[in-house]
Amino acid sequence: MVRFENVGMRYGAGPEILRDVNFALEPGSFTFVTGPSGAGKSTLLKLIFMAERPSRGLITIFGRDLATAKRSELPALRRRVGVVFQEFRLLDHLSAFDNVAMPLRLAGKREDEYGKDVEELLSWVGLGNRLDAKPPTLSGGEQQRVAIARAVVAKPDLILADEPTGNVDSEIGQRLIRLFVELNRFGTTVMIATHDRALISGAKSREIRLVGGRMVEMRGGRPHG
Amino acid sequence: MAERTPGRILPREAGAAPLDLVIGVMAFLAALALGGVLIANRTAESWQAGLMGRLTVQVLPVGAAAPDEEVRGALRVLQKTDGVVRARPLSQTEALALVEPWIGHDAVVSALPFPTLIDVRLAPGAALDIADLEARLKTAAPHAVFDDHSRWVARLKTTAGTVLWSALAILILIAIATAATVAFATRAGLATHHQIVQLLHLMGARNGFISRAFEWHYFVAALVTSACGMLAALAVFVVAGSAEVAGLASVPFLPPLGLKLAELPWLALVPAGAALIAWLTARASVFSALRRIY
Repeated sequence: MVRFENVGMRYGAGPEILRDVNFALEPGSFTFVTGPSGAGKSTLLKLIFMAERPSRGLITIFGRDLATAKRSELPALRRRVGVVFQEFRLLDHLSAFDNVAMPLRLAGKREDEYGKDVEELLSWVGLGNRLDAKPPTLSGGEQQRVAIARAVVAKPDLILADEPTGNVDSEIGQRLIRLFVELNRFGTTVMIATHDRALISGAKSREIRLVGGRMVEMRGGRPHG
Repeated sequence: MAERTPGRILPREAGAAPLDLVIGVMAFLAALALGGVLIANRTAESWQAGLMGRLTVQVLPVGAAAPDEEVRGALRVLQKTDGVVRARPLSQTEALALVEPWIGHDAVVSALPFPTLIDVRLAPGAALDIADLEARLKTAAPHAVFDDHSRWVARLKTTAGTVLWSALAILILIAIATAATVAFATRAGLATHHQIVQLLHLMGARNGFISRAFEWHYFVAALVTSACGMLAALAVFVVAGSAEVAGLASVPFLPPLGLKLAELPWLALVPAGAALIAWLTARASVFSALRRIY
């Protein structure tokens, strides 16, 4: 599903944020990316959801080599990835319902096609009574759940979450992780970046650990190559 | 389930009112300039049409009045000339009315020796041998003075051309300023929405989807604000036109300030142009922003 081969990444003329990263994500897998702040976790996720180009190395996503993919192919690839951004990145002028529905609108669906699904999903994440609320009126935890609902609503093949529990207490954090585990059971590949060791201590999922931009430790799998 | 209307992709940006006001004011000025060009063009045409195809023959007075014999002789010559449709001597009252704006109208003026004026109308496109006609007139009426208005027509052409080109130059300058204002306002608005462009892009929106949201947003905004400016200018022309009809503002020799009904649709070019510029600017700006991100 996702394959990194000798991937390096630097911003401009700055130092390398990622160095010689090699791994592969199998369909239906659940993976944590861990490491201290500044280790390159967010950059790794950005490379997967095609927000940045690698400085070197080869990235293959859904069987497509990104170095040779045409720009016109990228939107369709991006729509197969659901992203929970660290800072949520909700559209403040839209309701929770419209924020969650956005990926479906981008896929060309009409409101009468997706309305029921969006309402059910928001109820599932506990926001059935906040459909019309705008993000600035929601708490941090509620915004996070809207962001997660938006990431999963279009049933993407891969879900990426960057510090999805960073703004909530540990109890809600565990509930959110259970939500991802639930999605994973339905076959969605999940990758979560977090620096919270407590969050993954009880999990048996695969772990990719980054320190100083290098993969130094693995659990539940071996680095590719 | 209650029927929902999907929310607008772009919010109405806070602080857009001053830019809307500027677009409205520029559209108002552009519509005034365009109306000015239409009035200048119509006036120039009417000035020329009023003198083209006409001649004036003056039979100068000998003593107190022009000799009737010479007036009749001149009329005979004119009526026998090919291309002359009508030759009519003006009455004393008509002649006095012509000079009234300059020297007034009282008993002293009426007592002045006046030439007899013969108004000659020519067939459209008639090619007269002016020298031959002048020679024949001199024979029939030695005190006749011939004026084919060519000197006046030439001067009026020059004046009308100057007025028209000046109005056009003003219109072009205002149109450029309006276009720049609309483009600036659109780009400023886009800058505030850069995050939305980036987010939609990362969520897999096609460039066309993002661009359409912006194009439509700024097209409508520019159309509405510039239409308000155009309507304000229209009101100015309607008020000026109705004042003339009421006889309140008509000044001799000045062109009419009101627009004719058939000329009003031209003003719609202003909001149409502004909306088109906003549309093109939004499209170019969004595609340019999208090209800069992966």
